[in-house]
Amino acid sequence: MKVLVLNSMVPFLKGGAEALAYHLVQKLNDTRGVHAELVRIPFKWEPAERLIDEILICRSMRLYGTDMMIGLKFPAYLVPHNRKRLWLLHQFRQAYDLWDTGQSNIPNTSRGREIRHAIIEADNRCFPDCDKIFATRLVAKRLQHYNGFDAEIMMAPLNDPELFVGGDYGSYVFCGGRINAAKRQHLLVEAMRFTRNNVKLVVAGPPDTPSDAARLQDLVERYNLNDRVYLDLGFLTREWIAKYVNEALACAYLPVDEDSVGYVTMEAFSAAKAILTVSDAGGLLDIVHDGDTGLVVQPDPQSLATAINRLANDRNTTIEMGKEGRMRWNSMNVTWPATIERLLA
Amino acid sequence: MKIALCASFLPFINGGGRFIVEWLERKLVENGHEVERIYLPFVEDFRDMFAQMVAYRLIDLTESCDRLIAFRPPSYMLRHPCKILWFIHHFRFYYDLWNTEYRPVPDSVAGRAIRDMVFAADNVTLREARHIFTNSRTVSDRLRQFNGIDSEVLYPPLQDPERFRSDGYGDEIVCISRIEHHKRQHLLIEALSHTKAPVKLRICGDSIPPPTYSDELKALVGRLGLDGRVVFEQRWISEEEKIELLATALAVAYVPFDEDSYGYPSLEGSHAHKAILTTTDSGGVTELVVDSVNGYVCAPQPQALGEAMDRLFLDRSRASAMGRAAYQRVLDLGITWENVVQKLLA
Repeated sequence: MKVLVLNSMVPFLKGGAEALAYHLVQKLNDTRGVHAELVRIPFKWEPAERLIDEILICRSMRLYGTDMMIGLKFPAYLVPHNRKRLWLLHQFRQAYDLWDTGQSNIPNTSRGREIRHAIIEADNRCFPDCDKIFATRLVAKRLQHYNGFDAEIMMAPLNDPELFVGGDYGSYVFCGGRINAAKRQHLLVEAMRFTRNNVKLVVAGPPDTPSDAARLQDLVERYNLNDRVYLDLGFLTREWIAKYVNEALACAYLPVDEDSVGYVTMEAFSAAKAILTVSDAGGLLDIVHDGDTGLVVQPDPQSLATAINRLANDRNTTIEMGKEGRMRWNSMNVTWPATIERLLA
Repeated sequence: MKIALCASFLPFINGGGRFIVEWLERKLVENGHEVERIYLPFVEDFRDMFAQMVAYRLIDLTESCDRLIAFRPPSYMLRHPCKILWFIHHFRFYYDLWNTEYRPVPDSVAGRAIRDMVFAADNVTLREARHIFTNSRTVSDRLRQFNGIDSEVLYPPLQDPERFRSDGYGDEIVCISRIEHHKRQHLLIEALSHTKAPVKLRICGDSIPPPTYSDELKALVGRLGLDGRVVFEQRWISEEEKIELLATALAVAYVPFDEDSYGYPSLEGSHAHKAILTTTDSGGVTELVVDSVNGYVCAPQPQALGEAMDRLFLDRSRASAMGRAAYQRVLDLGITWENVVQKLLA
């Protein structure tokens, strides 16, 4: 069976969605009897008037010699095909929830409202033609709320679970992932001012901008935390990150209202580490419950410090929560083989 | 420099149209450039061909790259202030193949109107290019003849030509290419039956199903009693294997019917210092091969090809001299990545 995966792209930009598309195609090709390829259609949403062109571009494209199409992002999923499935990573949020919260790039003018309407209309005409739609819980909720369509819940699996096998429980809390203000590593660094001396913090990952790196470095200097906070900033190999996770006491992840569970959470649970997070973190709160598989506290340094002390002082409970997290995660069967099977079923 | 490479493509089908893009991508990256390769689908069906062309036209890469290099039609319909073409063929059914059985619409008022629209779209969008390079003289001639547009021939090199080598000159004439009727491997088998010397022939390569032509070739070998002298393998030949097979070959043979370009098999032979056996009607191959200099250009008949095979076998020093000349010819024509990168980025 020939499966074509369609994704939107911004030339020269690569992020999580690109990595997911790449792995999806690879895992499809590892499946017996399946031949998969990726098509990436350039997408530009500024000025807002472009959006009409973008819809037209995708609706005018034709596919040749393809048995099944899997669409990932707007507007690439609008490309017509008679056997279409969506793994809906994103609708165009500026026409939906970001419009409602006033964060849209589409102006609230009569023309802007027409453009927004065109996007919703294009979506509403596309979805009935899909024989299945998969999405994360939050994306599915929006789809139901704004378009009235149901989606089956599907999470993106870890691409390299074999690296995150766990290990000894050390004396540091580990915070991995991209470094920027919205991931709030700075709150953790500040929290370390108020923690006891028997616990350390390791923050590792690529900063989005030099100022994201400088912010953390300045905090460490200002509060004289050099011996208890270790910053390993830059691009790190997967093996290196896995070593940090596998030997940690627990992992921390504090994004602002993220759609998905996040790779950091999956890596931690895969390695049987409890997660420290905050009450406005979004998608990961689906599987992290306070006192059960981790700790969920208010997003301020004092509350985080109390939680870090708790993790360090009651190591047995921390380890138990990590093991519970692994069990919970494994029982969800979020793996590539299971994902491919559902996508093609 | 930020460079976008844009080409239409057929999903799930590999071929020369992709190699030229992906090999160039690698060389540009090696030269320190940022490259984004954009393959877009396109179905050449007259009923929705124009809507797809409009889609290409609407895509806006003007601010996202410093230079756009476009290849297969209709990728050159994208707009960019610095648009460079490495034009490898037209929509041939509406151009040079119009007066053949391949014509996709009737030669009626309506059919000709469709053809006129293809011409009109091409004439506008091709002229926007800052420079047009083609992969052969044949394609450049067509651009001049049909569109009145001048272009420059820029021959596409092999990916890693320096990997090819010669270990001497054995008894075998080697033909590695897709096994297809218009590549005319049957002509080579028939030619072998006209030889007097004990020269051997190896024919190998992949084929697109169904295997009708392969079966015919196998039957032909048996019918002519050439079993001991022809090795026939219908399968994909890896680069490593190809290098080994060419290293000990006596010469290479490539006898397609009226191809646009010189074809990678002739180029591979040249890099392995082997003479090239081809025919007068092979099209682009004759741009590369000069008769009796770096190979033989024969009449497309078994008798003539058989005689050339005998000459290659019986005069080894001549065969090896022509092989060395073949390598020199590639350099003289500037078929190197260094030249390609410099021209495309000038």
